[in-house]
Amino acid sequence: MMKVVKLHESRSHEWLVFGRDEERPSKIIDTNQYMIKTTNHAIMLDPGGIELFSAMLAAVVHHVPINQITHLFASHQDPDIISSLGLWDKTLPHAELYAPWLWEGFLRHFGCNSIRYNPLPDEGKSIRLDEVELQFIPAHYMHSSGNFSVYDPQAKILMSGDIGAALLPDNAPLFVEDFDAHVDKMRLFHQRWMPSNRAKKDWVRRVRQLEIEYLAPQHGAIFKGRDVQRFLDWLDELEVGTGVSAR
Amino acid sequence: MHSNRKNSAHFFINAATVAAELSVVLTEAKNISLEAMNAKALVARAGDNVRTFKPITDFMVELANDTIWLVKEINREALVLSRTSLAELHSSDAHNRFKRAQQKASLAPYGDTIDTIAAEASNTHHQQAMQLRRHMRKLFELLDEIESRMLAANVVTATSRLEAATAADSYQASLEGIVIKLEKAANRIKHIASKCRRSLER
Ligand SMILES: [Fe+2]
Ligand SMILES: [Fe+2]
Repeated sequence: MMKVVKLHESRSHEWLVFGRDEERPSKIIDTNQYMIKTTNHAIMLDPGGIELFSAMLAAVVHHVPINQITHLFASHQDPDIISSLGLWDKTLPHAELYAPWLWEGFLRHFGCNSIRYNPLPDEGKSIRLDEVELQFIPAHYMHSSGNFSVYDPQAKILMSGDIGAALLPDNAPLFVEDFDAHVDKMRLFHQRWMPSNRAKKDWVRRVRQLEIEYLAPQHGAIFKGRDVQRFLDWLDELEVGTGVSAR
Repeated sequence: MHSNRKNSAHFFINAATVAAELSVVLTEAKNISLEAMNAKALVARAGDNVRTFKPITDFMVELANDTIWLVKEINREALVLSRTSLAELHSSDAHNRFKRAQQKASLAPYGDTIDTIAAEASNTHHQQAMQLRRHMRKLFELLDEIESRMLAANVVTATSRLEAATAADSYQASLEGIVIKLEKAANRIKHIASKCRRSLER
């Protein structure tokens, strides 16, 4: 079964994290999926790969009826993020997808016949679900060239997609417990998957202006409280784009 | 059920392969058509000397035209079949994934909200499987037809041989040449048609 943790709960909305699926085929990377449930709506953030679809659908209906899911968000085009789109398209024909404009023609290869594709402009955008405001913050080249983070100013949660990702063993805790030890699990990922130091600085600068209680990545563990600042400081200093050797 | 799944997994490749093989048949059918034209010209030139050969050349023209039409039909049907079997494969995959979600969510408070879509997926899969069977039947029928045409061609080559043998000496060699080419083309078409059949039955 997929594990589910409630990250935030208030009168207006809930944040849920789905992950650590025990039945996940061993060769696919582990992912965290997020859902924000408001009074009448729900949005799934990076709903995951096609291999995870059954487990996700089953986990989701523990919390909302299917027809309450009206929105989907894909931070970027990767298969672990959204290759399930073709099946969500059958499940939620009336839903809307928010995803980078840059990837529309590409994402449609996964099957997007009924769902409406709302292309996110490069500068980002805010939407409202009932009383909840969600901001799509530009995170281009982190790692994908068209890429967004999602910020909820009320809950003070930043869903950061692949930024902050760590490659952890199965059944690792869902929250970062020892930041210094955690750094080893995420260094390679950031150095090799993130292409641009300039883009990294830009994202860190943007995100430092936000008040963040949880920084929630799509792989690995969630940063909480002071670890959020530690992470931003660490990333700010890190040299990325190491796939090209400096000769 | 299992063998059916396995079949459809390879089927879209086999069907596409069939379409490719058929381009050779089309060339052969065009050769028959060309030989038929040669024969017609010869018959016209020779007049009464090869009078009995006339119905044979008419038949060759008809055979060539039928074959070209049939090959085009088979080709179209093979591509439709390839597409249908791929759609069937996808619908079967979707059906299985929804079924698995349904099983996993059997105790979930909103688990029953999956039921409609799962039923729809199952229905779609059922319809796709039926379509696949229908297109498969159609393709086999067309292959049957082309094979029976080639059997008829064999009968005709046997008769033409006899006719050629009785024709005036000056035309004998040319007529025999035409008969041999017809026979060769018919045999190659027959061979490819049965090869296609075998690859679809696999
Ligand atoms: Fe990615
Ligand atoms: Fe990822």
